[in-house]
Amino acid sequence: MTPFLEVKDVKKQYGAIKAVDGVTFNVGPGEIVGVIGPNGSGKTTLFNSILGQIKPTSGHVAFCGEDITGMSPLELSRRGVGRTFQTLQVFGKMSVRDNLIAAAQEFKGTLGARLFAAPDAGLGQHADQMIEMFRLKHVAHLDAGNLSYGQQKLIDIAMAFMPAPRLVLLDEPCAGVNPSLVDQLHELLVELNKVQGGSFVVIEHNMDFIMKLCPHVICMVEGRVLAEGPPQAVQSNRQVLEAYLGN
Amino acid sequence: MSAAGKIALIVVVAALAALAWMLKRSDVYLMTLCCVYLMATMGLNLTVGYAGQMSLGQAAFFGIGAYIAAILMKFGWPFFVVLPVAAIACFAIGLALGFPALRVQHHYLAFATLGFNVLVFLVMRNEEKITGGTFGISNIPRPSVLGMSTDGHIAFFYFTLASLLVLGALLWYLLRSPWGRAFAALRDNPIRAESLGVNITAYTLLAFAIGAACAGIGGVYYASLVEFIEPGPFHFSTSLMMLLAVIVGGSGRFFGPVVGTIIIILLPEALRASNVEWLKFMQKWYLVFFGVAVVALMVWLPGGILSIADRWKKAPGGTK
Repeated sequence: MTPFLEVKDVKKQYGAIKAVDGVTFNVGPGEIVGVIGPNGSGKTTLFNSILGQIKPTSGHVAFCGEDITGMSPLELSRRGVGRTFQTLQVFGKMSVRDNLIAAAQEFKGTLGARLFAAPDAGLGQHADQMIEMFRLKHVAHLDAGNLSYGQQKLIDIAMAFMPAPRLVLLDEPCAGVNPSLVDQLHELLVELNKVQGGSFVVIEHNMDFIMKLCPHVICMVEGRVLAEGPPQAVQSNRQVLEAYLGN
Repeated sequence: MSAAGKIALIVVVAALAALAWMLKRSDVYLMTLCCVYLMATMGLNLTVGYAGQMSLGQAAFFGIGAYIAAILMKFGWPFFVVLPVAAIACFAIGLALGFPALRVQHHYLAFATLGFNVLVFLVMRNEEKITGGTFGISNIPRPSVLGMSTDGHIAFFYFTLASLLVLGALLWYLLRSPWGRAFAALRDNPIRAESLGVNITAYTLLAFAIGAACAGIGGVYYASLVEFIEPGPFHFSTSLMMLLAVIVGGSGRFFGPVVGTIIIILLPEALRASNVEWLKFMQKWYLVFFGVAVVALMVWLPGGILSIADRWKKAPGGTK
């Protein structure tokens, strides 16, 4: 069976530095895969290579059987591939509700048709549902840039899911987030996975979060896949422990 | 727009219409000039304020519109045919000028657009056979609207004010459509916008093209207002003045350019012509005062005059 996302021998080199060195893995439909590894192990570079933010030096990426290697983020978004970034990426001068509508409106009709569409592009109700789900109702009409880090993090993630993508790559969703919000994020991602049925790939340093959320985990070190499998097996792998804790 | 906002707008427009009968011819001319520049600065606000693309070439489009109007109307083309021709021509040239914005941003883009303005200015000055060079083009006619002449200064003011309201309504509609949100997404975070399906190439080019078309329309009215054009008013210093109007009023706020343009066009004249006893010293010092006011404004209100309301809301004790 063709994997949903197929990453095959992807390499990204900057001069003599191999940021990603022959990474291969597959993601199945509806599957949640975790990617762990120490800082500088190439996780985000791998994400950017898959998502067209940078062009891989070699290797192939396929989505639903189609070669998407080097495709632009725009082309990937049109194919149902979404992402979040390591740092907050909200539209600061827009309200929370407008952020969510902006996240999905470009998938409704043609460019010309959108000029004559309703101001909310017919997405107001869906945006309100997401606002409810992410418990952002009390700040829905405030500018996103004026909210707390945690609230912006929730908006950031809600935006990625607003167009109901088939595949979402989440880069450190728990970074800088307090423990209660981590639990909330876990619940939200489980629910979104159930409701929308998409596949997720999650980069994260919070081991508890990743071990609870992901049935399959990949550990990267120095641009390579060091270990992969069920979370418990990866967590107890001697090489993984050495990579994180040193010899 | 809220009901109170709509009522306020109607009252202001009605007051302006009534004021035209009470003011001197030169004052009505200034009010008409303000309306004409507003067409260009509202377009620039879309490009700079809403879509976040720096432009120092707006006066070039203003000039292209004016020269297209002057040349075609001299050939006997009617105003209402010339108007869309100038708008479409500026839209097309604006699309082309948008291409550098796909490669460079901020001050690099500012210099690219400034270079375009200098190029257009030189063409206007040196291509005498087409543009009349420094001698310009004179005897540009004013249009007739529904059989009524707009040769009179009040009639032309009404015509320009009504046209400005139509253009403003179109821009208001556009900025409240999903396009407006896409422009804002492009301004706030182009990388995230692209990952969410926003075609940043298309919207960047459209932001330039629509802004340019507005300036071109303004140029057509300018040619009819002054009835004589030469390259001077389309120098890049006019682009700087237009950008200043957008920033002084409040970049990315719909009524920002309205406030900014009124200040930039009318304040120096009001200060110069002031007959109030304690303001008479301004007749000699008005440009110095104006310069100091702009510097102070940029230091204390970088968000423009319309950002005062936001500051007040955020201040302790202000409304939330």
